[in-house]
This record gives sequence, C-alpha cells and structure tokens, in this order.
Amino acid sequence: MKSKESIFKNKLTWAVIAELLILAVAGILEPSFFSIEYNQTTGMLYGSLVDIVNRSAEITIIAMGMTMVIALGGTDISVGALVAVAGAFALKFLRWDVTLYPTPGDYTVYPFILVIVVPLVICTLMGLFNGVLIGKFKLQPIIATLILMVAGRGIAQIATNGKQFTTGYTPYRFIGQGSMFALPFPIIITIVVCACVMIFVRKTAFGTFVESVGVNPNASRVTGLKSDRIIMIVYTLTGFLSGIAGLIYSSRISSCDSNNAGVNYEMDAILAVVLGGTSMTGGKFSLTGTIIGSLIIRTITTLVYYFGITSESIMAFKAAIILVVIVIQSEPFGKWLATRNARKQKAGELRG
Amino acid sequence: MDRDVILTMRGIEIQFPGVKALDGVDFTLRRGEVHALLGENGAGKSTLIKCLTGVNKMDAGKIELEGKEIRPTDPKNAMDLGISTVFQEINLCDNLSVAENIFIGRQPMKRGQIDWKEINRRSRELLERFHIDIDVTRPLSQYSTAIQQMVSIARAVDVDAKVLILDEPTSSLDNEEVKKLFDVMRSLKAQGMGIIFITHFLDQVFEMSDRMTVLRNGHLIGVYNAGDITKLELVSSMIGKDLDQIFDLRRATQKEGAGVQLQANHIGVPGKVEDISFSQKKGELLGFAGLLGSGRTETAEMIFGVTKTQSGTLVIDGRTVKINEPMDAINQKIAFCPEDRKRDGIIGDLTIRENIALALQARRGMMKPMSRKEQDELADKYIKMLAIATPDAEKKIKELSGGNQQKVILARWMATDPDLLILDEPTRGIDVGAKAEIQRLMLQMCEEGMSIIFISSELDEIIRCSNRIIVMRDGKKAGELNGEGCTQADIMRIIAGEKVGETA
Amino acid sequence: MDKKRSNKLVNFVTNPKYIMVLATIGIFLAIYLFGAIIYGDKGFTKLRTFAMLFVDNAYIGISAVGMTMVLITGGIDLSVAAVASLTGMFIAYGTTVLGIDPIVCMVFSIVVGVALGLGMGALVTYLKIPPFVATLTGMFLARGVCSLISRDSISIDNELIDKMAGWKMYFMTLKDGEWVKIKPVAYVNLSVLMFIVMIIIGTYILQKTRFGRNVYAIGGNEQSARLMGLPVDRTKMMVYGFNGFCSALAGIAYALYVKSGWNLALQGGELDVISAAVIGGVLLSGGVGYMIGTFFGVLLKAVIPCLITFNGTLSSWWGKIITGALVLLFVALQQIVMHGNLFKKKKGNPAVKKE
Repeated sequence: MKSKESIFKNKLTWAVIAELLILAVAGILEPSFFSIEYNQTTGMLYGSLVDIVNRSAEITIIAMGMTMVIALGGTDISVGALVAVAGAFALKFLRWDVTLYPTPGDYTVYPFILVIVVPLVICTLMGLFNGVLIGKFKLQPIIATLILMVAGRGIAQIATNGKQFTTGYTPYRFIGQGSMFALPFPIIITIVVCACVMIFVRKTAFGTFVESVGVNPNASRVTGLKSDRIIMIVYTLTGFLSGIAGLIYSSRISSCDSNNAGVNYEMDAILAVVLGGTSMTGGKFSLTGTIIGSLIIRTITTLVYYFGITSESIMAFKAAIILVVIVIQSEPFGKWLATRNARKQKAGELRG
Repeated sequence: MDRDVILTMRGIEIQFPGVKALDGVDFTLRRGEVHALLGENGAGKSTLIKCLTGVNKMDAGKIELEGKEIRPTDPKNAMDLGISTVFQEINLCDNLSVAENIFIGRQPMKRGQIDWKEINRRSRELLERFHIDIDVTRPLSQYSTAIQQMVSIARAVDVDAKVLILDEPTSSLDNEEVKKLFDVMRSLKAQGMGIIFITHFLDQVFEMSDRMTVLRNGHLIGVYNAGDITKLELVSSMIGKDLDQIFDLRRATQKEGAGVQLQANHIGVPGKVEDISFSQKKGELLGFAGLLGSGRTETAEMIFGVTKTQSGTLVIDGRTVKINEPMDAINQKIAFCPEDRKRDGIIGDLTIRENIALALQARRGMMKPMSRKEQDELADKYIKMLAIATPDAEKKIKELSGGNQQKVILARWMATDPDLLILDEPTRGIDVGAKAEIQRLMLQMCEEGMSIIFISSELDEIIRCSNRIIVMRDGKKAGELNGEGCTQADIMRIIAGEKVGETA
Repeated sequence: MDKKRSNKLVNFVTNPKYIMVLATIGIFLAIYLFGAIIYGDKGFTKLRTFAMLFVDNAYIGISAVGMTMVLITGGIDLSVAAVASLTGMFIAYGTTVLGIDPIVCMVFSIVVGVALGLGMGALVTYLKIPPFVATLTGMFLARGVCSLISRDSISIDNELIDKMAGWKMYFMTLKDGEWVKIKPVAYVNLSVLMFIVMIIIGTYILQKTRFGRNVYAIGGNEQSARLMGLPVDRTKMMVYGFNGFCSALAGIAYALYVKSGWNLALQGGELDVISAAVIGGVLLSGGVGYMIGTFFGVLLKAVIPCLITFNGTLSSWWGKIITGALVLLFVALQQIVMHGNLFKKKKGNPAVKKE
C-alpha cells in the first residue's frame, strides 16, 4: 500500500524539486529575483515570483482540463485555437464594426455581459464539439481536436474580418491587468478556477470515473459508467477553460490577435500535465502536479527572459528540461533504476 | 542419453522480483512426441515457454536443442533456431492480409522485391491442409477468431520448426475445429516434430499427448506417460489438494414455489440472436450451453444492456422493463461478469479497492462519492470472503493472476447486492483450484436466493452446477434440459442439431 | 475469363484496404471537376494551374512521405516543420553569413535531420515515451536552436542556390515542327521532382520490401509484431530516421522555394503535413495507409486555397475551415470503414489492442 502511493507521490516530489532547483539557480544568479515590492499607487505586488504566477494563469487554467483529457488517454490540441477564438469574439462584441466605431476607447458596443458570456459559450460549444466527436463517434482525440485546431483560427479571423481589434474598455482590461487583494487579477481567477475544478473532481466520484474510463473504456461501460458522457464533459470543460484563458490573454494585450494568441498553448498545457506526473497513457492523474508543472514552465520562461535571452530560444531550454523529466518518468528508466538499486542492495548484503 | 530427444531443459531457474518463478525445472521433448505441459495458473508453464522463446532471461540452467546448447534471445532468434510458438492470445496483425500474416518477416523474394503472388499461392496451399478455403488477400480482421487462430497455427507450422509450442490453442475453437487442429498435429508428429501442448482441457490432454510434465509453484512435480496416469491423479498432482474438496459440489436446491425472477419474451438483435424466450425462477442457476458464437454471450449482453435489444420484452420481477444500457440493468439489480475479462472486466491500472467499489459507485451516481473508509471496508470484506490472494487492497488489479482478477470482478458485482447475476465464462483460463472456488461460491449464492445465469463452454461444469440448461445454436434457443440427470451427450446432441424432445 | 476479371475488380473496390485511397482520389477529382466547371473560363483547367499545385506544395509533400510512414507505425511526428525550418536556417546562415558551400550545408542539414529523427526514435522506441511528447520535445529543440542561430529572417544570397531554385523544366508542345513552351507557361522545378521521386521511393519501400511490411505490422499490432519475430525496435528507429531525412529534404525544398531562412518559418506546418496524410487516407491509429493516398491528399489540400484564389471574394481563412471540414469528413469516413468491417473487433477476440 505504501509503495504504490509513494511512487505516485514521488512524481509530485520530482516536480516540486525541479521547480525549487530552477528557483535556486535563479536566486543564485540574481538575488533580486525573489524581491517582492508593494506599489502604493496601483495597490499591487510586483516581483518576479508574482509575475511567474500571474503569467502562468492561462496555461494553468487550460491544463486543469487538459489533465483530465490526458487521464482519459486523449489529447486536446485545439485549446490554443480556442484561446484565439475567445479573444476574437470578445473584441468583436466590444467593437462590433470598426468602420462604425473607428477608434478604440473606453466603451463597449454590446453589454459587457455579452462580451464575457458569448466567447465562453462559443468555446464551450467547441469543446462539446470535440467531446461529441470523441465520446459519441469514437474519433481519435488528436485528430478530432486537430479539426478545430485548424479551423478554429479561421473562424477567429472571420469573426474580426482578419483585422486586429484593440480596446480601451476598462472593465475588460481589468480581467488581465487589474488587481484584487494586492494580487494581479489573473491570479485570483486561477485560484478560483483551480479550486472549483478540484472540488468538482475530488469531492465527487468524477475523478475516479475519469481514471476508470481512461484505463479501460469498455470495462467502464460494462460496469455502468456512461463513458461517452464522461468524455464529453471533460472536453467541454476544457473548451470552457480555454475560453477563460482566451479572455485573460486578450485582456492582457487589450486586443485580439487571431494569428498569435494561444500559439503553442496546447503544447505548454500538455507539458504542464506531463511534468506534473500524469502519464500520457492515461489513468491516474494529479491536478496539484499540473499546477506545479505549469509553474515550472513559466519559471523557466521568466528566468530566460530575465537574463535577456531571446524569447524564441526559450524553446530550446524547455526542450532540454522536458527531456530530462520525461526520461526520468519513463518506464524503462524506472526499471533500470530499480534493478540498479536492487543490485547495490545485494552487493551491500554480500559485503555485510 | 536418448537419441530421440530433441530438446532438453535442465535446472531452469528464473527469478522475478519477490518470487522464484521457476526453480530447478527439467524438461525433455522427444522427436515426434506431443508433450503436454500442465499446471495451474502461476505454476510456471508460461514462464518456461517464455524462457524457451527468449522472452524471459533465465538466471540459471541450460537449454539444449539437438545436443547443442542454445540461449534464445528473443522470439525471432528462437524461431531461427527452430522453436516456433503459437501463443494463447492471437498474435497476428489484423490489418494485414491472411497471407501476409503467415509470411511476414520471411516473405519469399524475387529480384529483391517481395513476391506477392508466391505468398498468396503458398498461403492457399497451407490453409488447404487445415481444410480452410478463404480469400487469403483479405484483411485478417474480416475473419472469425477461430480462423485467426488457425492462421496463427499455420504460420507456426510453416516455418521449418523442430519444436512447436502450442499455448492454449483450442480455447477459442469449437469441436469441429479442434478436430482439424488435432489432425494437423498428428501429421506434424508423424513428420518428427516435437510438440509442446499446453491446455486446460484435460480431455484433450489425454486424447493427444504421449507424455505429460506437471509443474506446481515453479517446481517440477513429475513426468508421466499417457497410459500410466488417470485424470484424477493428474488433477491432484497439478493442484496438490484433496480431490474431494474440488468435486464435492452440490447443485443448489430448487426452492418450492419460488417466484419468477426473469422472463425473456422473444428478445433478439437481428443478425445476431433471434427470438429468445425463457424464464428463470428466483434462486435458480440457469446454465447456457452452446458453441462459441451460438448466441450465449449475445443473449447475456442483451439482458444487461451492453447491446440494445431490438425486439421482444424483458420482464423482471413481474415488471416489464426497458434496458438500453448497463446502468439500466444495474438499477434492476442485475450484475454481469463479462467473458473477456481483460477487455470488458478489469480496470487494469486501478487498485483492487477501486475496482471493487466501482459498480456500486456508478449506481450511486457521481455526486454521492463513497468515502475512503467505506471503500476500504468494502474491499477488505470481499478480499477476505473470496480469499483473493493479495497483500492488500492497494495492489493494481492487473498485477493479479487471472483467477484473482475474476474474483475481484465478482466482488465488484456482489457489492451491488444483485438479484440476478450473469456469469459469462467465469472459469475460462483460470486454474483448477480457483475454478472450483468460483463454482462453489456460485452455488452458495444461489442457495441464498440469488438467481444466476451461468454461461460456459465446459459441459461438465454446466451439468454439475445448473438447475436447468438452455442450449443455444446459431443464434437461437435450440433446447432446454433439466440439470439433474442430464448428460454431456444430451447437450451435444442438441448442439449438433439432432432432434431431441424437450425435457423441461 | 471476363467474369473472373470483373470479380477481381469488385474484390479490389470492396476490399476495405483500398476504400480510403479511392475516396481521396474520388474527392480530388470531384473538386477538380467542380473547379473546372465554375472557373474553367478563368484558366483553372490550364496545365499551369495544375503544375503550380505541385510547385507551391512540394515541400509539404516531401515531408508527408516520411510522415505517412511514421503514422502507419501508429506514431506521430510534430517536429517536421521545425526541423525543416532549422534546415532552411542552416542553409541561409551557412551560405550567406558564413560563406560555406551550399552542398556542404545541405549535407550537414540532412545529417542533423536524420540524427534528430533517430534521437526522437530512440525516445519512442527504447524509453517508451509517447511519440507525441517525444517529437514535441524535438520540435521545441529544433525551433529553439533555430532561434539561437538567428532571430531575423536571412535571405539567401548564393549563386548555386539561385541556380537550383531557378531551374525549371518547362512543359513543351510541338508547334510547326518546333518544341515551344506551352502558354501560359507551365513548369515543374527541382522540388517537384524531389517530391515525385520520394513518393515513388516511399511506395517501393512500403509495398516491396520487408522493412515496409514490418512498418504496417507494427502499426497493426506492435506486440504481435514482436512475437512474430519482426525487428520492431530497429524498424521504428529507421522510420523516425527516414522521417528526419524527409523533414530535412522538405527544408531544402522550402529554402529553394522562399530563398531565405527564418526561425518562425513554417509555424504550424506539421499540421499541414499531418492533415495531408489524413486526407490521403492514412489511419492515425496506425496500420493503414498508402503513399499514393498521401500524394492525392497533398493535392486535395492544395487545390482548396487554389479554388479560393480563383473565387477572389472569399477570405483566405475559409481555406483553413474547409481543410478542417475535410479532415472531419475523412475521419468520419474512416470511422464508417472501421465500423463496417476493417477494424471490427470480434467479441471474445483476445487480440484487442487496448491493454
């Protein structure tokens, strides 16, 4: 009983250790990395650590859904496109027709509630679309979500006629740039979202059901679980969460950018999940691990920015770290380690 | 040393983490001999085979093939050495054509290219030996399990093998096909091939084999000539338990005036099973006999909602009910242990505890989770009650042996406290001891008032346990017999389609 | 005799192995015919239009050859576009900034491509890391290295490259006893030739060599392939290596096409390649697919933006949406074929893949 659980915990421990190591490196190279200041005028905390948590918001939120997608043995590569879709529709409702309202300013054409709700509804429906293809029609997740990944950006472009809208509407900008309780507002959103998802998953039997369907969908169905419904819920939820992330992202930049919004987010979200110790082959998952995984990714990024390395080459660093983590997590490596330990033990016994 | 000996294995030892899977096992195989390898699950049969095919590495011991020492490194290497294997599970690629499955990896080449014509021609010839006439260019997936099994045997015998290993080759074949297989085995034997034959069917062991080697818990128990040992002696050497304990099973007594639990009126799914009608009393054990594909499993799946019933009605406890999916059946207090344990039963990566709690949790619904304590109690209760061999409830179910997995699935359903339990081949592929335990459990539950539908290919266990037996043929109900006083011959006559008066 | 032949034809058409490929070819012909009817007067049917489909998409096609093989093994490679972009950067930086001979740069790129492919193959094969994750890592690595070399687009300034890029084979016609270029001018270039040669090589490998058949067997059931004694590990390594080669070759073709190297070039290109293969009838679950299908998949994917251009009023973004719809159509078709008979899992068949 102990051993199984400790292996599972081990993966979490690995993630925490990795995060601490990276932070330690940062602290040694640049002690000011850890400084946090309170700015009286904006009423907000500033500092690299706050920035890391703040900027990881989008990926953390998406990765909450992605964790369960992966636990189901699937992947959702459409989330990045959905981020673009959410931004495009939000800006569409803020500005509607740029020929009628040519200058961006502190106004909205349609009520703010629509600006928020419509993109979320659209993203949720797109998530449902994925879910129906995968749950009902049994398509392979990667290809089912490939459809929206390709088509999603097209839809986003068409919503804004291929133009980049900007806005100065204060309530909208608050989502990504405002603050509450001295913290950047995206952090607050992230905390609320993560708490809701975790309560939903772990305080009901939903988490167990997801794991069960992820391991063996056939047997789960025969056991009375409604596998297809569970699959649909998970993908729909992921679509909804991508929508939230999309709103945060577009609010941060006060505009929509259908070409670049959410590019590679699916990759980052999947990495966050994998770094957090959830296996790509499905089954057991850990939401806490995912949050740490997401923080690791953002810490690396921030660190690299901090030392003035170009943003695109961050990918090389990410690759190196992922490589280390996935090798450590891989089954053959674990076996090799186990046999080596056993041999060492044996040798020790012999000597003793 | 015997000149006829083709293969000797001496002092084979294999160590797995925590257990010694094989401990000093010897095995010899002669030219032109069918040598049965027997033992319960976990006795070390498959480990020995895997050692011979290079899947498992041995820690000590020696293998000699025709007097030369060999150390197979992988199945390919073993095949090159002349050791060919048909594994229990069909190990073919069903996206490839039948012919390609037979020849892949050793395709005849012409001018540096694969000679497809030759492959198809030779495949046709080869399958003719098995009296199989099919289009060999079609994908394997289009053919039945039995044909797939024959194809994999054809592949194994076509390589120029000295030693042929057949691991449970007959488990998915019907009698007719078994006969064909035995014919082929006899002709291979006549050619001087040594055949290692693993099976759970003792009748087949006595029909085919010249010698038998029995393993138990990784140890060699004995080697016997076919004529020198009775079935009972063989079984007792395999399980090392008192025989009376195993065969002392008594049919559940039929209670007088028990109400009707289940009544099926002309239920069917077009093309699979049609017009099935029967009724079952409370506390009755109803056996379903018939060949593979005769509609037994399909009937069970209709009752449980795995496949949707297209016509007819089901009456449960006097009420007509509509069952569209398993959840509906569970709500009617029906439970179902499926035939394909690995595919439809176990959730491999989850623990025993989670596997046991799952069906109950599913019935309760997502919003009413069971507490950890509740789950622990449930798991402990059933581990004790069913004597599931595991250190604790947190072991992954896939790490258990087949028999113990079956018990966990059984526990999962017993936890839902069903009125009607459907068991589809609950004893297939598990060892004799566990088999007897499951049978005893079944009878005990009936005695306590549960109704059980028991599907099995093994006629003797059906006859031994059932109050009544329904015989299926070609997707239809072919007859109904009383369990008491019925013989294997009676059932076989119905299966074979001879006219028999209904005795029920 | 005649009856036998017609039987053979019926057998061929109903054989589920070929349905997907036939569907791809059918839909391509239908769309082409549609274009010919609607935009025939605008020159859609001209040979030039057709040739340009090849010229503009050769690099996708070259990469799709390798991708097809990877997909048939049941894997996937997300690094192809990044590796191609890295190749372009090597050539641009090598020739223009460092002044190295372009042939050396190309050979070096191919070596790097194959090495990256083998590296990812090793992760997949020996460390059992899901292909999706392993190749994602490869993609990040290639993009990152690319950005480390240069963040800006470098246009290639090299005589040999100019010559290679400018080389054209014109379609000629016999007029008054003299060979003249047809009007409007239609040509194929070096990249198109590479594409066609790679398709032929790919077809030969898949259909006529043991290695190729092993690729199918692995995709069908890897466990079985292993137990049948096939060299699974070696085959997978070679497939990923070959794909790395194809990615580098696609990078060369792309460099010749745009005559520059850029770290952000071909972003999302891996999806173009994968969807071309899927539209070509390659099953993502592995085991099914043909090179000729991929060939038509590339053309089918190419003809859509071409039609949109001819239309003139539609936003080019419709191209993406239509491609998405096509992928949907094809996976739906695959699903029907699967539920038809090709991959129907029989009850009680222990050879199911899910463990």
